[in-house]
Amino acid sequence: MAETATARKARPPLLRDVRFLRVLGQAAFVVALVLVLREIFLNLQFGLERQGLDLEFEFLRQRAGFGIKEGISYNPNQSYIRAIQVGIVNTIRAAGVGIVLASVLGLVMGVARLSPNWLVRKLAQVYVEIFRNTPLAVQIFFWYFGVVLLLPAIEGGVSLWDVGFISNRGAAIPWPRSREGAGTWLLFLLAGILAAWVVRRWRTRVSDRTGRPHHRFLWAAGTFLAFGVFGYVVAGTPIGVDIPEATGRGYEGGFELSPEFAALLIGLVVYTGAFIAEIIRGSILAVEKGQKEAAEALGMAPRQQLRFVVLPQAMRIAIPPLNSQYLNLTKNSSLAVLIAYPDLLFVSRTIANQAGRATQVLLIAMGTYLTLSLIISFFMNLINRAVTRKGARR
Amino acid sequence: MAQDRAIRTELEGTVVIDEGLAVEVAPRKEPATPAEWVRENLFSSWFSTVLTVVLAAVIGYVGFGLIRWVFVAAEWQVFKANLRVYMIGRFPLEEAWRVWASVYLVSILAGLSWGVSRARLAWTRRKTALRAVLGALFLAALTYLIEGVTVWILLLGVAVACAAGFAAGRRTGRGALRWLAVAWLLAFPAVILLLRAFGGVPPQLWGGFMLNVILAVVAIFVSFPIGVLLALGRRSNLPVISAFCVGFIELVRGVPLFTLIILGFNILPLLLPPGMQLAVIVRMMIVFTLFSSAYVAEIVRGGLQGVHQGQYEAARAVGLSTTRMMGLIILPQALRNTIPAMISHFISLFKDTSLLTALAILEMLRAARRAAGQLQHLGSTKEALLAAAVIFWIVAFSMSRWSQRLERRLGVGER
Repeated sequence: MAETATARKARPPLLRDVRFLRVLGQAAFVVALVLVLREIFLNLQFGLERQGLDLEFEFLRQRAGFGIKEGISYNPNQSYIRAIQVGIVNTIRAAGVGIVLASVLGLVMGVARLSPNWLVRKLAQVYVEIFRNTPLAVQIFFWYFGVVLLLPAIEGGVSLWDVGFISNRGAAIPWPRSREGAGTWLLFLLAGILAAWVVRRWRTRVSDRTGRPHHRFLWAAGTFLAFGVFGYVVAGTPIGVDIPEATGRGYEGGFELSPEFAALLIGLVVYTGAFIAEIIRGSILAVEKGQKEAAEALGMAPRQQLRFVVLPQAMRIAIPPLNSQYLNLTKNSSLAVLIAYPDLLFVSRTIANQAGRATQVLLIAMGTYLTLSLIISFFMNLINRAVTRKGARR
Repeated sequence: MAQDRAIRTELEGTVVIDEGLAVEVAPRKEPATPAEWVRENLFSSWFSTVLTVVLAAVIGYVGFGLIRWVFVAAEWQVFKANLRVYMIGRFPLEEAWRVWASVYLVSILAGLSWGVSRARLAWTRRKTALRAVLGALFLAALTYLIEGVTVWILLLGVAVACAAGFAAGRRTGRGALRWLAVAWLLAFPAVILLLRAFGGVPPQLWGGFMLNVILAVVAIFVSFPIGVLLALGRRSNLPVISAFCVGFIELVRGVPLFTLIILGFNILPLLLPPGMQLAVIVRMMIVFTLFSSAYVAEIVRGGLQGVHQGQYEAARAVGLSTTRMMGLIILPQALRNTIPAMISHFISLFKDTSLLTALAILEMLRAARRAAGQLQHLGSTKEALLAAAVIFWIVAFSMSRWSQRLERRLGVGER
C-alpha cells in the first residue's frame, strides 16, 4: 500500500486520478444502463398501448376459462392465478420425480460404466453416448409420438392382471387411498421414526462401548416396522387400495399417468441420466487411487470397497456438477410445451395467447423458474456442506 | 478405454511389499489369448456370468428386432422424399448453389486445418475395421437416399475439396496456423454473405439442418467476446460492473432457454424502437447469443480461475497495465484451458436450436415433424424423428470425440 501513501502526498490532477476515474467510469455505466433500460421500457409501453394492453397484473383475477387436463383440482371458472398454480405444481411434479429417477438411473449407469464386465460396460457406454448426443426435444417427441401414443388403444390396452392398465391414454396403477383413521396411523409412523432414531443412537453407543457389531440399521428398521404394524392394527386398517378401472375414454381411480407426463418424464430421466452417469463415473475415477488400495489392503470385497470407501468420497466430488444437472432438468421440464403437458410454461403460454398479456405472464414464469433454481441450489448446498464437514471431521 | 484398463489392473493387481516397505501394485499382464480375455471380462465371477448371460439374451433379442426393423419394416421413404427439407428447409432450389458454395468453402478450410495440424488418425486394426464398417454403412445410406447424379458429383467434389485442402496443408509449415485462424474467422461472415448478399435468400427462408448449424455458429461466435467481457466484468473489482455482470449471468442461467425464446418471439419486437422490425430468425440469433454469452462467461471464469496467481504477479512485476496483462498473459492461458468446455457448450447449443420447433421455424426437427405429418407418410413418425435424431447425433458425437482428442493433445489440466 505504498502507492496510496505516495498518492496522498502528491495528488495527481483529478482527471488522471485512478480512484476518481473508477467512480466516473462506473457512474457513466450506470447512467448509460439506465438510459437504455428507460428507452426499452418506453418502447414497451408504447408498443403495448398500441395493442391496447397494459402492464397491470389485475387481469390475473379474471376467470381463466380454459381447461387443464391434469394436476391439482381446478376448473375453468377459477382465476388465472389458480391456473398458474396448477402449472407450477405440475412443473414441480415433473422436476421432482425426474430428479429422483434420473439420479437412480445415472448412479446405476455410472457404476455400470466401470463394471469389470465388458458387456455391462459397453452397454452403459452406448446408452450414455446415444442419449447425451441427441437433443432432448427430439427425444421427447420420439417418446410421445413414437412410443406412448402408438401403444394400443384403451379397449385393446395392456392389462396387468386387471388392476393396472397401459394404453395410449396413459397408464393407471393401484394406489393407496386413506380411509378413516389415517391421521392416527400417521402419528404412529412419526413416533416410529423418532423411536427408530433413538434406537439407532443407542445401538451406536453400545457398539462404541463394547466393540461388538451394532446392526443399527436392522434395529432401527425393526423398531419402525413394529410401530407401523401396531399402529395399523390400532387405527383399524386406515389405508385402502384404490384399483383403477378402464372407462370408455380414460381411467378412473388409482394413480394415473397421462401420456404427456409419461413421455416428458421418460425423456427428462433418460436424457439427464446419461449426463449424471458421466458425472458419477468421473467422480469415481477422481477418487484417489490410494483409497481403493487401502480398502483392498484391509481385505474389503470389491463391492464393499465401492460402497464404503469409494462412493462416499465420489459423492462429495459429484455434488456440484449434480446440482447443475438438477437445475438443467428443472429448466428442461419446460419442454413440456412441445407435447402439451400443462406445466408452468404451457399454462403461461395459454394465458398469454388468451389474455394477450405475454409480458406479465412471462415475467411470472421466469421469476418462478429462478425461484425454483435457487431452492434447488440451496438444498444442494446444504447437502454439500454436510458431506464436506463429515470429511473434515475425519 | 485406457481408463477402463487401468481400473481393471488395480482391481486384480497383486500387492507386493518389499523390504523397503514401499507398496507397489504390480501391473497385471494383459490377457494374452482370447479365451483369457473372455474369462476376465465376461465370466470373472458368478455374478458377472449371470449378467453376461442375461444381457446377451436381451441384447440378442432387442438387437435382432431393431436390425430387422431398420432394414425391413421401417419406411425410410419419409426421410428420402423430404431430404432437402431436412437439410435446407424452404431454401429456394435455384439458389441452392449458395449453400453448396458455403459447404465447399468450409470443407476446403477444414481440410487445410487438418493438414496443417499434422494430426494423424490412429490406424490400429480394430479402429480400421470399425471405420470401414461405419464408412460402408454411411455410403449405403447415401446410395439409398440420393438419386440425382448432380448431387453425387457435388458430394464427390466436397470430398475432393477436403482432400486437396489436406494435401496443401501438409505442404505448408505450421506457421500457416495463424492465417488459418484468420481464414476461419473470415469464413463465418463470408458464408452469411454468400447466403444473403447479391440477391440472395433472406433469413426467413433459411431452414433445416443448415439453420441449426448457422444458429449455433452465430451464437457461439458472437457470444464469445461478450462472454469474455462478462467474465472479466464479473471478476472486476469495480462493484457496479461486477454486480451487473453477475446479475445478467445468473438471470440468464436461472431460467429455461424456452422462456428466453418466447421472450424473443413475443416481447422483443415490443422492446425495439417503433418502426424497427427484425425477422424471427434474427431475433432468435439474438436470443441464442445472449443465452450463450452467459454460459461462455462462466466457462471463461473457470479458465481464469485456473491461471496461477503467480502469472498475475509476474505480469504486474514487469509493469504491464491491466489491459495488456489480461490480453497478453492471462487470457491466452485461460482460454486455452477452456477449449474442451467451449466445444461441449457448442454441442449443447447446437442441440438446443431444435427448441425453435415450437415457433414454426422450419429447422430440422420441425422439418421432421412436417414430413411425418404428410398424408403419404402417415404412420412414419418414428422414422422421421429418428432420421433427424441420427443427424443431430452424428454431429454432436463426432464433435465430442474431437474435443476429447483435443483435450489430450492440449494437455488440459496437466499443467
